Amino acid sequence: MAASPLFTLSVSSGKFGPRTGTLSINRNDGTPAIRTPTPALLTTTSRGVIPHLSRDSVRITDAIQHIHLPFESFLDRNPPVLTLVGGSHPLHQFLGYETNKHVITLTLRDPSDRRKMPTNGNDFVSAQCTRGVRKVSPSAWKTYVQKCKPDLVVALSDTPFTPPPHSQKRLTKSIERSISWLADFLRAPADHSASRPANVLVHLVGGAEPHARAEFADRLTEPIEQNAATGLSPLNMLDDGVAGYVFDLLHLHTALAAEGGRAIEPTGPVDELLKVSDSQRSSADSSARLAELLQASLDPLSTQKPRFVNSPVSPHEILRLVRDVGIDLVDGFWAQRAADIGVAFDFRFPVPPEPGTVSTDCPPPRTRESGRIDLGHNLFDSRYRHDHSRLSSSFSDGHSAEQSGQDDLPVCPCGACSPRSPAFHLLHSSVDVQAWQDLQRPVPSSLLQPPFVRSYIHHLLHTHEMSSHSLLAMHNLTVLSAFLDGIRGVLARDSPKGELDKEIGRFEQMYDEKMVLWDEAATMWLTVEHARGKGRLAREREKQAVTTVGAAVET
Amino acid sequence: MQFEVLAKCHTTRARVSRMRLAHGVTMLPTFMPVATQAAIKGLTPQQVEALGINLILNNTYHLNLRPGIQVLKEAGGAHKFQGWTHNLLTDSGGFQLVSLSKFTKITEEGALFASPFDGSPTMLTPEESISIQHTIGADIIMQLDDVVSSLTVGPRVEEAMWRTIRWLDRCIEFHQSSGKDDVQNLFAIVQGGLDAELRDKCLDEMIARKDKVAGYAIGGLSGGEEKDVFWRVIKQCADKLPEDRPRYSMGIGFAEDLLVCVALGVDMADCVFPTRTARFGVALTFKGPLNLRLGKHATDMRPIEEGCPCPTCTSGMTRALLNHTATLETAAAHAITQHNLVFQARVMGGAREAIINGTFPQYLKDFFANYFGDVGYPEWCVSALRSVGVDLLEGRPESKTVSGDGAKWEYSDAA
Repeated sequence: MAASPLFTLSVSSGKFGPRTGTLSINRNDGTPAIRTPTPALLTTTSRGVIPHLSRDSVRITDAIQHIHLPFESFLDRNPPVLTLVGGSHPLHQFLGYETNKHVITLTLRDPSDRRKMPTNGNDFVSAQCTRGVRKVSPSAWKTYVQKCKPDLVVALSDTPFTPPPHSQKRLTKSIERSISWLADFLRAPADHSASRPANVLVHLVGGAEPHARAEFADRLTEPIEQNAATGLSPLNMLDDGVAGYVFDLLHLHTALAAEGGRAIEPTGPVDELLKVSDSQRSSADSSARLAELLQASLDPLSTQKPRFVNSPVSPHEILRLVRDVGIDLVDGFWAQRAADIGVAFDFRFPVPPEPGTVSTDCPPPRTRESGRIDLGHNLFDSRYRHDHSRLSSSFSDGHSAEQSGQDDLPVCPCGACSPRSPAFHLLHSSVDVQAWQDLQRPVPSSLLQPPFVRSYIHHLLHTHEMSSHSLLAMHNLTVLSAFLDGIRGVLARDSPKGELDKEIGRFEQMYDEKMVLWDEAATMWLTVEHARGKGRLAREREKQAVTTVGAAVET
Repeated sequence: MQFEVLAKCHTTRARVSRMRLAHGVTMLPTFMPVATQAAIKGLTPQQVEALGINLILNNTYHLNLRPGIQVLKEAGGAHKFQGWTHNLLTDSGGFQLVSLSKFTKITEEGALFASPFDGSPTMLTPEESISIQHTIGADIIMQLDDVVSSLTVGPRVEEAMWRTIRWLDRCIEFHQSSGKDDVQNLFAIVQGGLDAELRDKCLDEMIARKDKVAGYAIGGLSGGEEKDVFWRVIKQCADKLPEDRPRYSMGIGFAEDLLVCVALGVDMADCVFPTRTARFGVALTFKGPLNLRLGKHATDMRPIEEGCPCPTCTSGMTRALLNHTATLETAAAHAITQHNLVFQARVMGGAREAIINGTFPQYLKDFFANYFGDVGYPEWCVSALRSVGVDLLEGRPESKTVSGDGAKWEYSDAA
């Protein structure tokens, strides 16, 4: 059977121009092929699961198709439990993803984790699990991957996790190790006991030094020397064994910030519960620097391979990297993190013709001093206490769209905006049908229910209820997916590059990139987390000891 | 409310009934999951409904603080606010006033407490409680009662019992004059501590008001009293309460407690236990609770329970993955919560089925043999069920019994 290509471009312009394409996963094992139009969304996971989403919630969220799976949390047991599952799709089976819908990309480290780590060695990467730091050798990684059978896999690379800036010497070492580990990863065993891993992605390393990045890319495209060729035939160069490229933006953001001695100064609150990524912001300048670095890597490489970008920090940044680099998949870390801290997205690309005027019953986000509006709503804010409207002013909800028959706004199909009553109920005794098939209650013509509203999620956030984050995670991923869909729509127009440029300009004028919203949400989230999150009972007891107010300690 | 008894157990006092409320029919006996803050923790109402659950509980005390009555009014009541289209019950807030605030003072007028917002003295009267519950809009509302800990002894118990009766009269008066009594149903709460004589007086007084109340709760229990006393109080109340009113045992959630209560004639029960224990990584099964945080589950590729119809078990979720995620990922809490709520529903659904089929005594025997066969039967369960004609030990001479609470638990070795 002829192997179908992993990636095909439909629209592209030059090496770094904006492009659309299709990522196809054809496992040739009886499971249906999965085709994803790009630019596409990669959903991130924590300990193997999508944060805040139970399996049934994952299933109703169509935005979730590509799943990014860091392996490291499973290192807390030896052998890692993922390697014990067996079968033909161990990751799907164990983690509950569907082989006909979900594509899993396995990587060792969580690209959104920028904690300081012990140094890597010549033959190991330091990885993080609940029991501490574990050293993972390239050969161990290869064994794990063989047992886990992911759809796509990221080869090990040596990214320094010590604070930047990194010396020339360190970057050279990073390049040498990454090249050597990639070669080992691609090497088929002499005894043919296993085939070469397929769909291998590689991190393009070199830090914030364009020449170091170029050097790494050159090394990928150098002819393989005879004495190193064992097991690599028929590859002429390492790049021949590589299916796509990965960029970790968080790493680059921190490296750029450290450049010239600039420390990363958090704009918002400082707290141990916050992540390094929470203080990352983008700007036209930072996007230009990133584009320069990404281009330096891609310059000598094939344009026909998909480009994965982890941890972008704003839709503005995504747009510019689509325009100036031609990226194909972006992870949803930023959207999912927003769900953690109580932010509900409310933005669209291309921006609505006359935003805010279409739907007066649903207030648009706040306008900031710059004249730009927020990308969403900080639902912790007391202004939402009495706001009984759906989450997004730029999207309608399934129930009202159905009731009104109007389609002047696109519908947000997420589980928060367009919830549906279950079509089936579990029956626990033979008389239970009397409750569910109640002849005295009218049969609803549709399963669509009214949307969850801002005031309710505001309430859930302040009472530390987990479902607030479930609803926001479904919503934010769906809005981000629609945003990428919007990009593809613009790129389908005549003269896509000019159109994209124009629409990006409008987007930049419309939405606040400084994200005051984020800092405000993070501050309020921390207050509630400290008052009601883990360890609250001890804190309450302390408080009760010094006050006469009857504080309500609910356990 | 329409309440109809459909079937009765030929041996025990158990019965199956159909309760029609403003938001549909609920089949009894049933367990009511607790959505304290207008959400079953971690789940959407659609997810709860899919589990086969159509009656949940909200807490008046909490909803009155947040989001507050004004917000609920604007939203059109708690059903609409939380997106729950089925039946809803609210407590009166009396229990939380006592359990959550050590500064609450009970007067004849009502409960005086320090506002959790600013510490200012605030009064919750029976009328106020009912008024708040009217705004919340639950299908079943509870009278404000004077709650004392079940471990309290002395004159305070009797005082609280009589005050609860006086407050019931004020609740009835307020409820009936509000015009809401055709859609919202007021339940009385039987008090009287662990004293059989006081309970009896309370029952007499409350039964005398039967025409003005839709159902009866048995309150003042589940506060750490001995189980052998607990079941006797339940039995005394359930025996005496009128046949044509639902009986609600407050704060009961362990499977063995539920089944004993059902056998004694109880129709409804609520407890945070199955949902709370889920968040700590404990899954309920017909072989007893599983503490999924224990290392022994780390590579166990079985579901929580074979044959369980819950979304977690049918999705192929293994104990190993739950071991990996429990208490660290909220999604693990959601998964175990879904399972535990289905477990509770299966225990009660199985009881309904058995009562209808005339096999309830056997159902009890099978359940207890499965659940306690390995560690020994709680003595109090054996005694309680003997009082209604079921001998768990019949034909099982080898079975052990254990005194005390006898609750089955898998203790944690996890850090």
